[in-house]
Amino acid sequence: MPSSFEREHRRELLILDTGPIRELVVFRAVEQFRFEGLRKSLRCIVDRDCYDRCGKFIVSLRRKITSASVVAELNCWIRETERAGQGKLWNRVYEEFDEMRMDEQVVKLLEMDIKQVAKFGPTDVSLIDIARRSANLSPVVLTADRPLLEQCGRAGLRVKHLKELTLPE
Amino acid sequence: MIPEVTLPPPHSKRVQAWVYAIMNPIIESLRREVSLLAKGNITWQGDTKRCEYIRPIGEYIEFPQRPNYEDFVADPLNLGFQGKFEKHDRGLSAVESSAAEFADGLMHSDSFQKQVKDLLEQYQAAARANPQHPYLDDSPGGSLPRAVAALLVNRIDSLPYHYGTHKFWEMCKNEFQPYHMLPSFHAVKKAAEALGHISSKLLLDLENHRQSLCRTYDIPAAPIPADKSHSADAFIV
Repeated sequence: MPSSFEREHRRELLILDTGPIRELVVFRAVEQFRFEGLRKSLRCIVDRDCYDRCGKFIVSLRRKITSASVVAELNCWIRETERAGQGKLWNRVYEEFDEMRMDEQVVKLLEMDIKQVAKFGPTDVSLIDIARRSANLSPVVLTADRPLLEQCGRAGLRVKHLKELTLPE
Repeated sequence: MIPEVTLPPPHSKRVQAWVYAIMNPIIESLRREVSLLAKGNITWQGDTKRCEYIRPIGEYIEFPQRPNYEDFVADPLNLGFQGKFEKHDRGLSAVESSAAEFADGLMHSDSFQKQVKDLLEQYQAAARANPQHPYLDDSPGGSLPRAVAALLVNRIDSLPYHYGTHKFWEMCKNEFQPYHMLPSFHAVKKAAEALGHISSKLLLDLENHRQSLCRTYDIPAAPIPADKSHSADAFIV
C-alpha cells in the first residue's frame, strides 16, 4: 500500500523552473566542492536536510522537464558569476540535467501570448504552456518564484514553491 | 653590467598583483584540493581522464594574469615556488594516470562489465516493483560501467537523492567494494595521498609567504572596498 508521501507525490511529470535548478547546482557546488562564495545566493536550500527533502520530492516524480528559456536564464545567471568558475558551474548544470534525465522543450516566442509574455516573461509563460500541454501527465510545476506560483494557481495548475519542499514535514 | 636588484617599495602594486591575482586563487584552490583529497575524492572524470577540481597550478590563474604569474615565479622574493608548483603538477599527473589505469582496467574487464549488467538487471527488477526507484538503463551504451568506474575512483559513498543513479549506487555499492582491493586502486590511493601531502605543504608555504609579503609591504591580503581617494588603484575594486 502506498505511503501518504507516495499518495501525495506520485505524479508523472515535474516541470522545473530556473530557481530550483540553480539552488540544486549551487548547494552541491558549495557543499561538495567548497565554492563558499556562492553560499550567500542560496535562498531555500540552506542545509543538507533541505537538500535531501527537495531531492526526495524530485525523485518521486518519474519524468522531469524544463523549458529552453530556463536554460537561457541559467546562462544569464552563470555569466554574472566569477569568470574562472563559470565552466565548473556549467559542469554542475550538465550533471544535474544528466542525472535527473531532464527533458527540455522549446516553446516558440510567436506561439506565446504577447500580453502574457509582456507581463510575466517568456520563461514563466513557456513553463505554463508545457504544463497545459502535459495535462494528462498530472504535471507539477516547481518554482522559487512567487509570481509564477500565483500565475499557476490562477491557471488551475499544480504548483509547489521550493521553500515548501525544504520545510520539515 | 649586472643590474642592481631592487626590492619593491611599500604598497607595491607588483606585490599586490602577486597576492591578489596569483596567491589568493592558488590558496583558495589548494584549500579545495586538500579538503577533497582528505575525503579521497579526486574528482576524476572518465570522459576527460582528468581531475575536475584538482588542476595544474598554472590553470588556477586567469589567463590575463599569466604575466603576473610568470613575474611571481621569476622573482627571487618568491624563491622556490616554481619548483613547488612543478612538484604539485607532477603529483597530479601521477594521480590522473593511475586513475586512468585503474578505470581502463575495469572497463576492459569482462567480469566488471558483467557485474554492472547483472546488478542493473536486479535494480530494474526492484524498480518495477517499487515506483519510488527511478528508472535507470545503460544508455548511451557503456555509460553505466563508466559511471561506476568513476564513482569507485572518486570513492563516492552516496549520491544526491534526485540523481538517477542514487538508488542504484545505494543498493549496489558494496558489491563493487572488492575492486578497491586491487593493486591498481592502491596505486591511485597512494598517488592521491602523496598529492595530499604536497598540496597541504604548498598551501601552508603560500599562506605563510602571503602573510610575510603583506606585512613587509603593508598591503591587505585581499582588495578592499573602493575608497574614492584611491579609485585610480587598479586593485581596489
